[in-house]
Amino acid sequence: MTTLEGLAHGLSVALQPSILIYSLFGALLGTFVGVLPGIGAMAAITLLLPITYYISSEAALVMLAGVYYGAQYGGSVASILLRLPGTPQSAVTTLDGYPLAQQGRAGVALFTAMISSFAGSLLGIAILVLMAGWLASIATQFGAADYAAMMVMGLVAASTIGSRQPAKSLAMVVVGLILGTVGTDVNSGAPRFTFGQTQLLDGINLVALAMGLFGVAEVIANIRKADRHGPPNRVGLRELIPARDDLRRICAPILRGTTLGGFFGALPGTGSTISSFLSYALERRVSRRPQKFGHGAVEGIAGPESANNSAAITAFVPTLTLGIPGDPIMALMLGALVIHGIQPGPMMLEARPDMFWGLVVSFGIGNLFLLILNLPLIGIWVSMLRIPFRWLYPAIIVFICLGVYSVRGASFDIVMVAAVGAIGYALALAAFSPALLLLGFVLGPLIETNLRRALLVSRGDPMIFLERPIACGFVIATLALILLPLARRIRQGRG
Amino acid sequence: MTRMTTRRSLLAASTLAFGLTALPALAQDWPTAPVHLFVGFPAGSSPDTIARLVAEPLAEALGQPVVVENKPGAGGVIGVQQMLAQKGDGHSIGITINGPLTTAPRLIPELGYDPQADIAPVGLIATSPLVLAVSADFAAQDAAAFVADASARPGEISYGSVGQGSGAHLTAELFAGEAGVELYHIPYKSYAEVTTAILGGEIDAGFMAPSGALPHVEAGTMKMLGITSATPFAQVPDVPVLAGQAGLPDDFRAELWNAMIAPAGTDAAVIERLNGELQTILADPEIQQKLLAIGWQVQPGAPADLADRIAADTEMWGAVIDKTEAQQ
Repeated sequence: MTTLEGLAHGLSVALQPSILIYSLFGALLGTFVGVLPGIGAMAAITLLLPITYYISSEAALVMLAGVYYGAQYGGSVASILLRLPGTPQSAVTTLDGYPLAQQGRAGVALFTAMISSFAGSLLGIAILVLMAGWLASIATQFGAADYAAMMVMGLVAASTIGSRQPAKSLAMVVVGLILGTVGTDVNSGAPRFTFGQTQLLDGINLVALAMGLFGVAEVIANIRKADRHGPPNRVGLRELIPARDDLRRICAPILRGTTLGGFFGALPGTGSTISSFLSYALERRVSRRPQKFGHGAVEGIAGPESANNSAAITAFVPTLTLGIPGDPIMALMLGALVIHGIQPGPMMLEARPDMFWGLVVSFGIGNLFLLILNLPLIGIWVSMLRIPFRWLYPAIIVFICLGVYSVRGASFDIVMVAAVGAIGYALALAAFSPALLLLGFVLGPLIETNLRRALLVSRGDPMIFLERPIACGFVIATLALILLPLARRIRQGRG
Repeated sequence: MTRMTTRRSLLAASTLAFGLTALPALAQDWPTAPVHLFVGFPAGSSPDTIARLVAEPLAEALGQPVVVENKPGAGGVIGVQQMLAQKGDGHSIGITINGPLTTAPRLIPELGYDPQADIAPVGLIATSPLVLAVSADFAAQDAAAFVADASARPGEISYGSVGQGSGAHLTAELFAGEAGVELYHIPYKSYAEVTTAILGGEIDAGFMAPSGALPHVEAGTMKMLGITSATPFAQVPDVPVLAGQAGLPDDFRAELWNAMIAPAGTDAAVIERLNGELQTILADPEIQQKLLAIGWQVQPGAPADLADRIAADTEMWGAVIDKTEAQQ
């Protein structure tokens, strides 16, 4: 089946009324849970799973997939308006989205987020259709050494975002790395820093950490303003349309973000949170006005938002082409297929073309629907700011608790989110960047596991990082990232 | 004073009388409230799917809702801990894999429960063997050749597992020990990672679920050299059993299993009722077919059979853990 035939066949599957309805319902629910801080795609898919037993496998998959990519849209809304990321991957959107909202340009920020999300998804679909086979082969060729070298590069590249003071930035990254060591040591099986708590054996819950650092901390910071509410501005359609200047600025970041996200999404185990962080770091580095970042640069929204949406689409590459889920949510979706007696694997494209192409086309329809749905909703989201804080913030705390609990049903995590919230508030007072802590926490365990695994594979020989072409490339890039600014500074010093 | 004593003794007497009459009534009326079924794995995982397959007919039979409570973490241990943390009125039961009942006391410090003393076995549900999977490019075509290769170059053939002390790790070590060879262990976090590593050539082999390896075998990128069950497994009938070949003993068997449990001290009549319903449910050919499709062979039995299985596996895996700890 050629690509065109496939798409035509997919259209005939995805446009069946029942499939269409489930797809749109999934996308709508995804946006909704994405907007609510703490409650993410994982919780919604878990809730929907029992329903999927009773509907066709195609309908089940397009619905769950809709929740997955729909959540990527919603996540940025609260990030921009309230500095409360709806999902961990939209945490980085707070950095420039919130300052824009403070400047009365919330509409532009939301529009940028929506249009970038849409463009990222669409280009992600193109990557999925045209390069799925190639990406899948890359995914199996990536060894532990390659992952380790790539993540180190990511850490170096991103470790200066969101803060002006290098010492404070570095301190936050290190704290994040240390928090990432909590849990069972993969190589020896020994518990590390768990203090006898079985709940910590699998590490600190990412959602609890992100929601504590950003959500709860932000609520605490606003307690003193309890009687007030946000700027009572009404957003007409005119305020939504960015200036020509803004539009010009977001095109290149969208393309770069999509490429970055498309690549990381397809690699099992990396995913959309890392994509959005790295895209932000990349935009800041290539920008001609890096000083604007953190003060309302639209590029800082466009890049990460297109990256995480693109990653959410290409995350289906290893799942559909190899039967290998890249993250827990994908594993959940695979579980839904298995219940229907479908064992996803390398033969699925040939054995069930209706499934693959139907899903691909449903991505396109779902994303178009999300764009049409979300643009008029921007006005409503912004008017949410007119709710007095004394009503809004307690509601947010309730949603955060629900969301954190929904991840694995542990009341331990609610205590955790409260404690992290208090620490996050202290950090904010001292002008430390919580985004960098989160970055260290996300990348740290990946670097450690893959570094140690690479050394196990090579029987202790560190040359593995130079002998493997992919790893070697990343090592050279990392050195360049560190040495080039140094060299520039030395030259400037001489001049 | 006397009045108080009288009142107190009256109270005691009435409690006693009430207790005496209430106890048998409890088992008869059970369940009087929704039953909570604790599972130590997330929604969509295979223990969760098994629990949901059982929960629906169980609710019908008991006339009360059966609520699946996913409490994932620590290899299923948190599910067992959470079940034990509920008030022991017979309405909190669990479905768990073998690990939390057999190897967990050895692997997890401050486990908080003793599988022998704190768990009342209800019944085994299903078992799943593991297959020895290698990349299609790997030279050996069968288990005998694999073992010959491994003894020719000790410690050089690498295998992946889903973590130190996991079923995949201990099965490989049991296999290596019985075959008299030495394999090189590289722990991963999930079967997805192990599969990718085998396909990409980072590791040579791995013990994994037949359903996990099957799609890649069909695609021609993987092969299965043997299976750890005592008899051929219906999902992959062509894969030869490892027992009795390649220098392995005839009684070689290593299986993962799922079982229903309750907190110790649960009324014996309740356990009996649950076991009876479970056996009825597992006798349904449709349930058997659904379980087999996800790689599980129905294996019903009495509570005592499960107790024996726990004891035997605890001993068998304990010896393997002793061996791996001595190596470290």
